[in-house]
Amino acid sequence: MGGNAQTRWWADARVGYIVIDNPPMNVLSDENRRGIRDALDEFRADGVGAVVLTGAGDRAFCAGADLGEEKHLTDETVGKFLARGEQTFRIIRDYDRPVIGAINGWAMGGGLVLALWCDVRVGSTAARLGAVGVKVGLMASNVQLSRLFPEGRARDMLLTGRTVEADEAYRLGLLSSVVAPERLMGEATAWARGMADRPHELMAAAKRAVNLALEPAVPR
Amino acid sequence: MRVESAGISIVAIDGACTGADFERALEADIRVAADGATFSADGARDLAACAHRLTRLLGEARAKEIVLGPRRFDAATALRLGIVTRVVPAAELAATAAALVERLAALPPLALPAIRDAVRAARDLTPDAALAVEHAHFRRLIATRDHKAAVAAFFERRPAVFTGD
Repeated sequence: MGGNAQTRWWADARVGYIVIDNPPMNVLSDENRRGIRDALDEFRADGVGAVVLTGAGDRAFCAGADLGEEKHLTDETVGKFLARGEQTFRIIRDYDRPVIGAINGWAMGGGLVLALWCDVRVGSTAARLGAVGVKVGLMASNVQLSRLFPEGRARDMLLTGRTVEADEAYRLGLLSSVVAPERLMGEATAWARGMADRPHELMAAAKRAVNLALEPAVPR
Repeated sequence: MRVESAGISIVAIDGACTGADFERALEADIRVAADGATFSADGARDLAACAHRLTRLLGEARAKEIVLGPRRFDAATALRLGIVTRVVPAAELAATAAALVERLAALPPLALPAIRDAVRAARDLTPDAALAVEHAHFRRLIATRDHKAAVAAFFERRPAVFTGD
């Protein structure tokens, strides 16, 4: 069990839980990035087999970068800003256990990126996903959305920035299941427990294999 | 019907979309269809190119379903496969396309082609190289006047006006 000012985490029966708790919309702060990293390290040491990542409250999973912080970025600081984000996603992608995103509300911009780097996503009926970067003249979630999705669907979401509600997200395969809000953590726990009960080496190898399969083929 | 907005092409499909029409529709950025539309790759001028494009657009399993499977399929199947991202009653097709044009026209124009190019690149690059492309675009876009206008409008809860700089 642990936490910092904006992140809480604990483990129960070999399932780890991380909650982004930065109300009202759970914008992703440096505290959250540190919290995710520290929690995953601690879980590995404690023999956790799978991890559930979610947002506090019923409004948002994660609303992405703080636009207030982002508007002060200069040519010098933007590189560090991008590197901090990338580091978090890399930690989740390269973590040797599955991470399940429990999408309890808005997942937009950098919050969508965070959701997409999770290995599996389950959502509540209140889940709303949006690649909203384009609305502020930026791009985010391009890479992961383009890899998870066939190009036609990636273009639709990225170029319009439109909101995808839970039922459409399920149909598109962005969510693997959708349940009522009060059942979300139970559902995410069931997915995590199913994975935590399998041999760790097998889960780690399967995750690595999928990561590698998304690499472009070597020309023959 | 093919329309363009901020350099992004939208095809609204009604009736039979086959052969060369089908090939042209696949080249667009966004496709929507009327519920009575039908689709077929039959008569394509270059079936191999069509198969390649379909694999990029839909993924391998779905592309094979089209190229090797039933010769003609309906709008509901096109939606399921991801050929189109929306199906509406025929009477609403023109308005749907117009709404998309309007929506795209209201977005910052510099970001749109950058996103389209980055989507295309993401498939051909390693994740690290693709992220580098995305970040290069991000660094350029964050310095634009349009981005600053969008953030200011967000905080002032009003629509933004974009100039393309």
